[in-house]
Amino acid sequence: MNMSKRWGQYDLLSLIRMIILLFSLFAANTLAETSRLMPVVPGHALTFPHDYGAHQDFRIEWWYMTGWLETEDKKPLGFQVTFFRYATDQNHDNPSRFAAKYLIIAHVALSDPAAGKLMHAEKTAREGFELAYAKPGNTDVKLDEWTLVREENGRYLVDMRTEDFGLQLALTPTQKVLLQGENGFSRKGLEPEQASYYYSEPHLRVTGTVLRQSKPVAVSGSAWLDHEWSTAYLDPNADGWDWVGANLDDGSALMAFQIRGKKGGKVWAYAALRDPSGQVKFFSPEQVEFTPTRTWQSPHTEAVYPVAMHIRTGEIEWQLTPLLDDQELDSRQSAGAVYWEGAVTLTRDRQPAGRGYLELTGYVKPLAL
Amino acid sequence: MLELCKINKAYAEGRKVLTNLSYTLRAGEYVAIMGDSGVGKSTLLNLIAGLDTPDSGEIRINGVAISSLDDDASTQLRREQFGFIFQAFHVLPHLTVSQNIALPLLLNGAPTERVEQMLAEVGLRDRGHHFPRQLSGGELQRVAIARALIHRPKLVLADEPTGNLDPDTAHDILQLMRAEIKANGASGIIVTHSHAAAATADAILNLTKDGLHPAHAGHSQ
Amino acid sequence: MKSVSLSRWLLLGEWRAHILQVIVAIMAIAIGIALGYSIHLINTAAFNEFSAASKNLSGQSDLQVHGRSAFFDESLYPMLAKYEGVALANPVLELDVVMPNKLQNRNDHKLKIVGLDMFRATQISPDLLGVPVEGKRLDGLADDAIFLSPAAMEWLQVEQGDVLSLNAGLQTITLRVAGGLVRARSGQRIAVMDIGAAQWRFQQLGLLSRIELKLKHGVNHAAFKAELTKQLGDQYLVVEVTDQETRIANMSRAYRVNLNMLALVALFTGAFLVFSTQALSVIRRRQQFAMLRVLGFTRRQLLRQIVLEGALLGMIGSLLGLGLGYAIAAMAIQFLGGDLGSNFFPGIKPSIDFNPLAALTFFLIGLGVTVLGSMAPAFEAVRAKPALALRSGSEDAALSKLSTPWFAMFCLMLAMLFTQLPPVFELPIFGYLAIALLLIGGIALMPRFAARIFTSLQNVWGAQAGAMVTLVLARLANAPNQAAIALGGILASFSLMVAMAIMVTSFRVSVDGWLTHVLPADLYVRTVSVGDQGGFQLSEQKAMAGLSGFERVDFFRTQQLRLDPGRPEIMLIARPIDSIDPRNTLPMVDDAMTPTVLPEGVTPIWVSEAMVDLYGYRPGEKVSLPIGKAADTVFNEFVVAGVWRDYGRQFGAVQMQLADYQRLTGDTSVNNLAVWLGSGATLDAAMANLRQLPFGDALEISKSRDMRALSLEIFDRSFAVTYLLEIVAVVIGLLGVGASFSAQTLARAKEFGMLRHIGVMRRQVLVMLAAEGGLLTAMGIVLGFVLGWAISLILVFIVNPQSFHWTMQLHLPWGWLTMVAVIMLVSAAMTALIAGRRAVSGNVIRAVREDW
Repeated sequence: MNMSKRWGQYDLLSLIRMIILLFSLFAANTLAETSRLMPVVPGHALTFPHDYGAHQDFRIEWWYMTGWLETEDKKPLGFQVTFFRYATDQNHDNPSRFAAKYLIIAHVALSDPAAGKLMHAEKTAREGFELAYAKPGNTDVKLDEWTLVREENGRYLVDMRTEDFGLQLALTPTQKVLLQGENGFSRKGLEPEQASYYYSEPHLRVTGTVLRQSKPVAVSGSAWLDHEWSTAYLDPNADGWDWVGANLDDGSALMAFQIRGKKGGKVWAYAALRDPSGQVKFFSPEQVEFTPTRTWQSPHTEAVYPVAMHIRTGEIEWQLTPLLDDQELDSRQSAGAVYWEGAVTLTRDRQPAGRGYLELTGYVKPLAL
Repeated sequence: MLELCKINKAYAEGRKVLTNLSYTLRAGEYVAIMGDSGVGKSTLLNLIAGLDTPDSGEIRINGVAISSLDDDASTQLRREQFGFIFQAFHVLPHLTVSQNIALPLLLNGAPTERVEQMLAEVGLRDRGHHFPRQLSGGELQRVAIARALIHRPKLVLADEPTGNLDPDTAHDILQLMRAEIKANGASGIIVTHSHAAAATADAILNLTKDGLHPAHAGHSQ
Repeated sequence: MKSVSLSRWLLLGEWRAHILQVIVAIMAIAIGIALGYSIHLINTAAFNEFSAASKNLSGQSDLQVHGRSAFFDESLYPMLAKYEGVALANPVLELDVVMPNKLQNRNDHKLKIVGLDMFRATQISPDLLGVPVEGKRLDGLADDAIFLSPAAMEWLQVEQGDVLSLNAGLQTITLRVAGGLVRARSGQRIAVMDIGAAQWRFQQLGLLSRIELKLKHGVNHAAFKAELTKQLGDQYLVVEVTDQETRIANMSRAYRVNLNMLALVALFTGAFLVFSTQALSVIRRRQQFAMLRVLGFTRRQLLRQIVLEGALLGMIGSLLGLGLGYAIAAMAIQFLGGDLGSNFFPGIKPSIDFNPLAALTFFLIGLGVTVLGSMAPAFEAVRAKPALALRSGSEDAALSKLSTPWFAMFCLMLAMLFTQLPPVFELPIFGYLAIALLLIGGIALMPRFAARIFTSLQNVWGAQAGAMVTLVLARLANAPNQAAIALGGILASFSLMVAMAIMVTSFRVSVDGWLTHVLPADLYVRTVSVGDQGGFQLSEQKAMAGLSGFERVDFFRTQQLRLDPGRPEIMLIARPIDSIDPRNTLPMVDDAMTPTVLPEGVTPIWVSEAMVDLYGYRPGEKVSLPIGKAADTVFNEFVVAGVWRDYGRQFGAVQMQLADYQRLTGDTSVNNLAVWLGSGATLDAAMANLRQLPFGDALEISKSRDMRALSLEIFDRSFAVTYLLEIVAVVIGLLGVGASFSAQTLARAKEFGMLRHIGVMRRQVLVMLAAEGGLLTAMGIVLGFVLGWAISLILVFIVNPQSFHWTMQLHLPWGWLTMVAVIMLVSAAMTALIAGRRAVSGNVIRAVREDW
């Protein structure tokens, strides 16, 4: 792919870099800009199925799915699928069908211990011509041939195939929707407007096919879905975040994140633990603590990631161990940004507890382009 | 008809060749000039022909001082009163024999009837339309003799005319030359190294550093 | 003594003695090579840069889909994006937008603006993505942002952050220069915008120029292309990259080939000069060579000696020529541009690329020509019997072997035959060959001709001629070969000059007449238009037609149509045409069919000559063209009603009645109008009236006489290089005359010496030399004129129609030709005089004496 190498030297607008930049950029811009976009406010009740669909009045929105799969010969695989919708807040008056009002960005990754690394692909397109869209009303997102659709019965269908790998999965809910924060109002910082609307669907039962080297493999497993939308997200002083979402073996669901400050330390933190009975325990920022226990230096970017992490939520001690170390998404060749997003196993108070996904962002210094 | 009075001539580099040279050639006289190489024989001929000028002294032809003439006038003089015969013939290659012979007449604006007669005299009857490349050396010199005399010049200057010819041919040419000069009533000067050639002249002069001195008697006939 | 040092002595001795001839020979070959090489460099550089820039624009797609006209409906885009086997569909809207502050530069006033979806383009043409300011990444999508290549910024004198005003149709729009295009080629003038923004701002909503496709791995391109072509039907063209390359090559091929041919002509003249210099030099030394043979030189040694001399001359000359050519090319590109001012390659700035292979080729051409020039006389010198060669007067006979009439006649016959042959690959190859053969044959025939002429002159003047006349005529008549060689160069250059002058004059007179015919109105008005839409809608048309002082207003709708993916677009012109007699409107080539002859119910079109040559359209024939309602672009049937002459568009143009066009397409907009003023109205008043309209500022109003003048100016500029080459050829020719006269004067020293002895005056010798030179030149001019006239016939009636697809009438520039002839005559005689001044120096007198 020497072609992509060549483009890589260019500071192109592309998936991850843009998202990361936007997170910080628009947080800073919100006050100055007279935007048509709506702020995230507390006390707004989420309504379903409407809120499964897209929210075009907000700057950014994503559907994010991660999960553990098992092949028929019991080999584990991790997967991640993300669809972003992004409002450019431009071209309001442009009658052209090409007018770039919304962008759709999609990302698919497969962690295969057999291959020892992450396979991933990404795409960006403007919404239009029915080639790319995120529809309101119910989850219905498309980017060329990549689709994520929520059926009336709640089942999600994902179809994301690339030239050499891909996923065709059906994800069936087994539990209720988990509203994060205050009934879906999820704070990300000290300022009240630094927030998003946020719900999760843990313990999605997965069946389907994974394509490796274009060969189909039947898989089954369990997944986690996040749907989050916001107009202002990150604190300007934020450096990056650590996030984990895990389906626990006993039917519990854990989600925890911390936003790290540029000067070190945490700007904000949050955790929610729902037990099998549906009781949710929320943890305040000071009750949540992330402590790296092992770091791994990427041979690709030389970034150092805390791939094994100790997390404390209140009294509970969690230990996260990666499925494989190299789950770095190196998109320098096209986007210039890098982060780590990988399948992990969890212990709770030293007992095996479940499996989840850990996301580590902001560990690579800005690349000199 | 030709008077040389106290001629002095030095080369450009300063070496004197002719010193105080005086001589008078009478009309109808045919003399041979001999001398060592480099003594100034050709220089003398050039001076007589007006192609070069003496450092001092005077050359008169029929009383006209040629050193006082400009280039055009001396050229005119050569054209009318001189005939030249060269060692290397110098016949124009792209003119026919007749045309070559007719040249002096044409230059003088005279009618060219005499060409046929001259051709016959020099033994080249019927060769008039030939080009020089078709002729032998002796024949070329015959053309040159005819050319030198066709316009009835007063003085014929011949510079080693047989130098390029074999002895038999040379003998014929020398006889012809003498005969033609006499027949046309011209004077003649022949410069040569060859005693045989010099012997065809009326008198033989030796050119030395000291001047022109008569040698023993020339033409025996 | 080693033979090597002997060889060197001989060589150096000869060169020292004849340094002038050596210099002239070297200069001749150097100039010839320099011209050929520089034109090759310039052409290659310009063409490569133009192709690279075009490729840069079209990206790395597998296939491209174009419409029949310049734009098509965007609904094709989603269809192709979803099409089986397509990995990526990249929609492109490409516009040539007139820059308001560049209007004075009528032929070079457009900026190419490419509308792109950067998310799609990133994989196909990443070089075209704009680079926004840090932190302003979304400018790539902004509806007011434009990205300019460095050359475009320089051209428009704007920088990042400046505001750029453009005219789009009758409106003015302002855009923000949001950043640069760092990957644009140096000198490439382009701009990039978001495709949605471009559609909106330039009023091209719903339209695309092309869609570039990348196919999935494993898809068979040919099969896919065939299938897609079938699927899309006639109104779309599926084009491969190779088609694109063909098309680009086609655009400038005729121009490039013709220029290269001109360069070859210069090379040819130079080669002939070298040949003649070498030949004369060898002949002058025949006796010397004969002596060497007598002394024991073998034939082979002698041959090697002569050829070595030529090879050394060729090497030095060729090397000098390469350096000179490179310098000329660099300067020409710097000051004239890659198209040498002819605007064949707009919007690029090429740089010269040193290609060792090309340089070597030109070096070898130079060397080869020189060695060949030495070989022929060398063989003769070697074969000559020493005894014969030692004698003077045999030189001309030696030369006559070099020119047999049969060879000349054969060349001329072959030339005649070649004029009857059709073009090869749409290039007049045989036409050029015929020209070369005419020249060679003409020059080879020259000695015979000279001998014949001067012999008969001799016979005419005969006996009553004076000594000088006899001398001059005898020499010219009896030694024609040496004379002819001296004249060969001048004959070649003069005949080519005559040919070019006749061709250019014919062309210019024809163009002038044509311009008068195609620009009959007083004023021409157009919008600063964008894309393919007619800028004037019905209301604006009415407003303009209703202005006072206009006696008649004709509206024109012009549009580009693409008939063949491998060829540049043709122009469709819909306008009112006199249906009773189309000749009143169009510059018809022959008698048009009158409408009564036309079958009922068919729509007539009138096609340019290029359409006949390139697409095979014949009068009376039914053809089908993609002119129809935009929604369902369908082909309609037309009948070719006649052929008209078009010097403006060598790729083809079609005219039809505006009413027919509007009936078939429903498109009532127009691009241009022609205005005839009523009596009493003045041009200035009419222009002021137009300017006062609400959209008056956006109008581009031209007086027809200005347009005519401008067109002719462009015409003259295009031929500037031609003139330059002609002058160079003639200078080479004169140099040759000078050199050979000088050589011959030296060789004839003894002749002059003898003449001076027997009473030829100094000035008579000079007159003789001038008369020889003058007479020879006069004959060369006469012959050159005849030859040049014959060549011009080939240029006018074969080369031009075959390369540019237009015909013209023959016009002879008598005044100019006479002037050139007189100048040539005088300068040749002068040259002979100057060369001959040694003939009357004192040395000459001494030359006759051999015993010193």
